[in-house]
Amino acid sequence: MKKSYVIKRILYSVFVFAVVITLNFFIPRIGVEDPAERYYPPQGNMSEIEYEIIKQATREQYGFDVSPWQQYLNYLEGLTHGDLGMSFRSGSPAVADLIIDRLPWTLVLSVSTMLIGLIIGIMFGVIAAMKRGRWQDTVLLNASTIMIALPSFFIALILSFYLGFEYEIFPAYTDPNMVSNFEWTFASLRNVAQNAALPVLSMAVGSIIGYAQGTRNAVIAVTNEDFILTAKAKGLKQNTIRYKHILRNSMLPIVTSLGMSISGLIGGQVVIEQIFNWNGMGTLFLEANNMNDYPLMMGIMLLLSGFTILAILVTDLIYVLLDPRVTVGDKR
Amino acid sequence: MVKKIGLMLFMSIFVLVLTACSNQKIERRPDDNMLYVGSVQTSFPTAFMPWLSRSGIAPTIAGMLYNTLFSYDEETGDFDPVIGKEWYYVDDDGEPIVTEEGAIDYDCLEEIYSDSSHEYLAVKIIIHDNITWSDGEPLTVDDIYYTFDIATNNLLSNHAGALAWTSDLRHKYTNGVMTKQGLFTYENGALEQGYDIAEEDKDTVIYMHVNKVLGSVMPLFTSVLILPEHIWEPVVTPENQLNSAEPTEETLYRYKNPVGSGQYVLDTQQSSSQQIILHRRDDYHLTKEDGSPLYNVERINYILYQEINVAIYALLKGHIDVLDTSVSSNYLRLFEKEDDIFISNAPGTFIQTLVLNVNPVSSERNAQRDLLRDKNFRKAIALAVNQDDLIENVLNGAGIKASSGLMRKSLVDFFNPNADSLPTDYETRIDLANEILDTIVPNKDSDGYRMLDGERISYNILGHPGEQDVISYLEIQFEKIGIDVNYAAKGAQPESTYLYTSRFDMTLQGVIFSISNVDIMYPAHFQTLGRTSNYGRLENENLNDKINEMRFTLNLNTKYNLIKEIQPMLADEYYKIPLYTSNIISVARTDRFTGYVVVEGATVLNDSTLQNLTKVESE
Repeated sequence: MKKSYVIKRILYSVFVFAVVITLNFFIPRIGVEDPAERYYPPQGNMSEIEYEIIKQATREQYGFDVSPWQQYLNYLEGLTHGDLGMSFRSGSPAVADLIIDRLPWTLVLSVSTMLIGLIIGIMFGVIAAMKRGRWQDTVLLNASTIMIALPSFFIALILSFYLGFEYEIFPAYTDPNMVSNFEWTFASLRNVAQNAALPVLSMAVGSIIGYAQGTRNAVIAVTNEDFILTAKAKGLKQNTIRYKHILRNSMLPIVTSLGMSISGLIGGQVVIEQIFNWNGMGTLFLEANNMNDYPLMMGIMLLLSGFTILAILVTDLIYVLLDPRVTVGDKR
Repeated sequence: MVKKIGLMLFMSIFVLVLTACSNQKIERRPDDNMLYVGSVQTSFPTAFMPWLSRSGIAPTIAGMLYNTLFSYDEETGDFDPVIGKEWYYVDDDGEPIVTEEGAIDYDCLEEIYSDSSHEYLAVKIIIHDNITWSDGEPLTVDDIYYTFDIATNNLLSNHAGALAWTSDLRHKYTNGVMTKQGLFTYENGALEQGYDIAEEDKDTVIYMHVNKVLGSVMPLFTSVLILPEHIWEPVVTPENQLNSAEPTEETLYRYKNPVGSGQYVLDTQQSSSQQIILHRRDDYHLTKEDGSPLYNVERINYILYQEINVAIYALLKGHIDVLDTSVSSNYLRLFEKEDDIFISNAPGTFIQTLVLNVNPVSSERNAQRDLLRDKNFRKAIALAVNQDDLIENVLNGAGIKASSGLMRKSLVDFFNPNADSLPTDYETRIDLANEILDTIVPNKDSDGYRMLDGERISYNILGHPGEQDVISYLEIQFEKIGIDVNYAAKGAQPESTYLYTSRFDMTLQGVIFSISNVDIMYPAHFQTLGRTSNYGRLENENLNDKINEMRFTLNLNTKYNLIKEIQPMLADEYYKIPLYTSNIISVARTDRFTGYVVVEGATVLNDSTLQNLTKVESE
């Protein structure tokens, strides 16, 4: 891998992140005459003077009493030492603390979903590609069509109703004591696994199908390449052709979609978390949105953007490792 | 190597799935003495700053941990004792202005205070002498003085809500310096003001000076939660305000470990962002007549649900006892066939109205909107509204007709039935409406819709997605008079996007008027222009005069009469046209607790229920 390429990609990512920070700050404020307006209490019988005092108090409380430019500088200064600001919610907790509280629980769901989706999806995809045109392939294609039509919240509600409420195989929604009573013990981990089962299953169904279809198409495309014909002609073993030549070369699109899904890992799934009362980033973002909690929204968006930029950077670098021909932007 | 990692991953997932499948059921209601309450919210508060935000469950919890001076009974119009035991308007010497029977003597009050030399009303409050904070410290008038004093001092409390609640209190600060004293206790200038408080009453008597309107005491008595001075005084400074955006660790600790005077205390160990557990205080100062605790429920566990369907199934499957959320009438059939389910179909207090943009700002005027300025045109629209049909179809029968005077019939002291002057028979109404419209806009297109300047008369009605069905039925009803209406999405911030800017034809709006809020709400809905709830910018001088007269009278009986007079005036404007009052439907299980009480305007989990519930003895 060329060093200059790596440096260029890193610098580019830093630039994009700086732009994101700026947009992240200013976009919510565009077109908003008075961002504190939503926090003013009703005027009631107060005189204009009295009400103006109250409005000023509100603006001061939420940091809107200085110019947007000054607010931006304050925000940047905070970022330099990891301070994402204070949430507007009661008790003014630090945004970073709120995110740190929720992030691990979202990762439990998203990493499990990704691993299940990746492993089972690739397995199904390879099988479907190898058995192209047979029943295994037909089942996968039909399942894909059905799953694309079914939104994940619908699957979640059905799973919650049948496997949770009706047959009580898994908890229908998260035990409210799960987070507060969590310890690093087997019983506690088992409790988390039980509570995570349905949300993971709800998300994994779509994920499995996605990876399976991607893998199938990639494997089929690679199988038809000339170099595979050459490998066969050379008399290489079937397994060597499959795993060393076909699968490895089919991984590029999988890595792309994996890179994209990694960025989604920390965002959480709002609807799934809502249905299963899962205390993750998705619901935190929803709370921030419903409460017009600017600092919290900006904190989450910043984290998501940062993670996405990082994921894209890592994906690009892995790409080069997998396929040395890929040197985008590197003039020869 | 890669194969090994893959195998390990696969095995870990396999083990995880197996573990998750191990059939160890979660016991959802393990504590026999605890009422498990499902609450559908986005989130629960984890810090309990006393003057919490007014959204979600926060005010409910705050009201259980802390107390106000009094609570207001809408039906009787009385302030019921909470921290306060008695209160009076008093004369210049601090003597109560009461009749021989002990009731407020409004004639005398009016006589004493109507002259211009009196700039304020003086109020005497006597509090219970046996109240303690949840940490055991006694609650005295010093706490009340501290609370109101800090609420008005924006150097120490940057809480806009508290400033608003106390705006009628004549106790003012400017930049941390008291400019006007309106609170008086034994220790704080009562004697100098001429209020003689005996030494034995020094902990229980406080005087207040409030603006000269009867409604002044309402927010002071019922909105301001009283704070413990000994908890907050040591930590609150101008640098670390009560509602600081960046509170110190010590203040945060106090937010998370509330000390209140309410009927319940927070279980700080077990409560989390997913559940809030409250324990009854056995030393709560209010008790039943027989001396037993006022609240029967010993422990309450509020459990957060973020999805209404999940919460409903949780109730049906016995995971919770009560669902503290009103549910759509569409769910009624689901509950009716279930055993052990109590359905509270409580009369609502909220009147859904159709608001017409009767006076748009000049830049938002057009020919069709100008029609809405014509009272006769508006009357035709009001005539076309069929409340019975809306109640039957939109609410599945779970609602009642709303008065054109926009006041609830249950408020018998001042409800005016004469506000409803339009015919009741719908056929007659439609005939009358068409008769009126034929004189204003007689031309119709081939579909029977009325035309203005060659264009079909068509209005958008702003609504939320959940209100589309109401608007669809209005579309059908207005078709009968040849007026086309369509749903238009309100969006997340309709006030700033459409309503304050006059950029709308019609909108749906819920209103609640009662004696406790008319002083504020009548001006906000019908009088004040600008950024108020008077979205359609109604201007009517006679109405303004009448509202002002009502606000400033010092005689409650006169006030009642004026409210009665205002109702037909509102009805006659055809500005906020009533559509219905929907019932509040909520549900509870009866397998562990019984004695749920249906209360107007409340879900099944109300104060009366908590006082009345009894455990079902297991056989």
